[in-house]
Amino acid sequence: MNAEAAESSIQPAIQVQGVSKSFMQSGTPLAVLKGVDFYASDGELVSVIGPSGCGKSTLLNIIAGLDQPSEGSISLNGRVEERRLGEVGYMQQRDLLMPWRSVLDNAIIGLELQGVSKSEAHARARALLEEFGLTGFENEYPHALSGGMRQRAAFLRTVLADQEVFLLDEPFGALDALTRSQIQEWLLGMWRRVQKTIVLVTHDVDEAIFLSDRVYVMSSRPGRMKLVQVIDLARPRHAEMVTQPRFVELKAQLLASVRSEVTDV
Amino acid sequence: MSSNRPRVGVLGMIKGFSFSWLPSLLIILALLALWEGYVRIFDVQKWLLPSPVVIAATLVESAALLSRHAWVTLVEVLVGFGLALASGVALASMIAFSRTLERAIYPFVIASQTIPIIAVAPLLLIWIGYGLAPKVIVVALIAFFPIVVNMVDGLKSADPDMVSLMRTLGANRRDIFMKVQFPSSLPFLFSGTKIAMTFSVIGAVIGEWVGSSAGLGYLMIRSKPQFLTERVFAAIVVLSAMGILLFLFVGLVERLVIPWWHTERRKRALENSG
Repeated sequence: MNAEAAESSIQPAIQVQGVSKSFMQSGTPLAVLKGVDFYASDGELVSVIGPSGCGKSTLLNIIAGLDQPSEGSISLNGRVEERRLGEVGYMQQRDLLMPWRSVLDNAIIGLELQGVSKSEAHARARALLEEFGLTGFENEYPHALSGGMRQRAAFLRTVLADQEVFLLDEPFGALDALTRSQIQEWLLGMWRRVQKTIVLVTHDVDEAIFLSDRVYVMSSRPGRMKLVQVIDLARPRHAEMVTQPRFVELKAQLLASVRSEVTDV
Repeated sequence: MSSNRPRVGVLGMIKGFSFSWLPSLLIILALLALWEGYVRIFDVQKWLLPSPVVIAATLVESAALLSRHAWVTLVEVLVGFGLALASGVALASMIAFSRTLERAIYPFVIASQTIPIIAVAPLLLIWIGYGLAPKVIVVALIAFFPIVVNMVDGLKSADPDMVSLMRTLGANRRDIFMKVQFPSSLPFLFSGTKIAMTFSVIGAVIGEWVGSSAGLGYLMIRSKPQFLTERVFAAIVVLSAMGILLFLFVGLVERLVIPWWHTERRKRALENSG
């Protein structure tokens, strides 16, 4: 390994520095984000929680490159990137599967855009079907799938596109509680295997603690990071952990922090 | 649970088909019976109002004549419609692709529909003469409008979140157009195409009325002064049969090209009713 590689390996996969964003609303500027600082190391799973309307989605849009910050910068692997479109995988709450494409063709859309041949892309997708619980459904249209399967198909699309960082915006929000906890455990398994950096936005404190290495709490609008908590629970995580004293303790701390924001409004 | 796709057998399809078409078939039969009875009871002259039986007999007797003229009209309809489809899709794509082009082109598209075709048709005759070309142009002028308007709406209906997703996957403008906007527009395009197809038949007849030497419109114009009213009716029957068949054909093509649209719509209907 040369010096440069060694240097870059200690840089965070993603670093957000002093990011502010305001929108014009009926003639007056509305500050949505104010001086957001946070980072995620290579292979880390970081969650961001906060009250609704705190600008979480705006922040993800900016990181993904769909929007630019009014102030501040975003670095990927230690380099400030102005144009991030195509560099950061972004999975929104809605699965956004294309109704005119089969599950398999939906999954390979990222590879298609990268110029990978269709047969090669299909082969790569097929190899992952079983892990994503989609075997036998690859030729179905998305509407034939359950909510959990659709979400896994969207994950497959994200994983196949193989970008360095995955942004997940409340990906389990639309699922029922049982499906949700199953897919959370499944996500942890997949994350361990693909070794990607994941930034997860959620309003569910349990979910954030269960999945993450570190949890950031955002303030109400204008949003900034008001707290960061290291989740020192052992890995691999199990569903039973949610009743352990340390989990409950962490949950109490984070909930208090989030609640103080909600009452401020 | 290998598949929860609803499966309907051939028998089920025939059953569903006959069931859904039975009411309209009964209404048609009742109306024809009333018509036949009226003509017989009041002894209405054939040149004034021929009875359904007389019209049916004319359809059989003049089958060769009718089909020769129907073929001419069909060619006009199909060529004109094809032209409308190609130019309509091209125009709609240009309009949806750029705001500037939209501002430049859309007013002309709308203006083209405010010009009465019946007034333009004789001019086309003067400029281009008899033959296929002026009829094809009349058909295309009438048919392209519903195609353009529907497809523009369809191209603009693309889910903005899906477009965002494509951008984060590194898609350029052309990728987004081809892989999101165009497929999103297809259900709209087919709605416009169905309207355009029926308009095309009307357009061809108008074109033939203004000046022609063949076609069902020409046959009607020629038969009227000869008091061959039953032949006028026979031509109308053939024309509407042609219109209905072409409409059904578009519906069939739609099912083949966008099968996902029908199953998705059915599922949504089920969810709403449940």
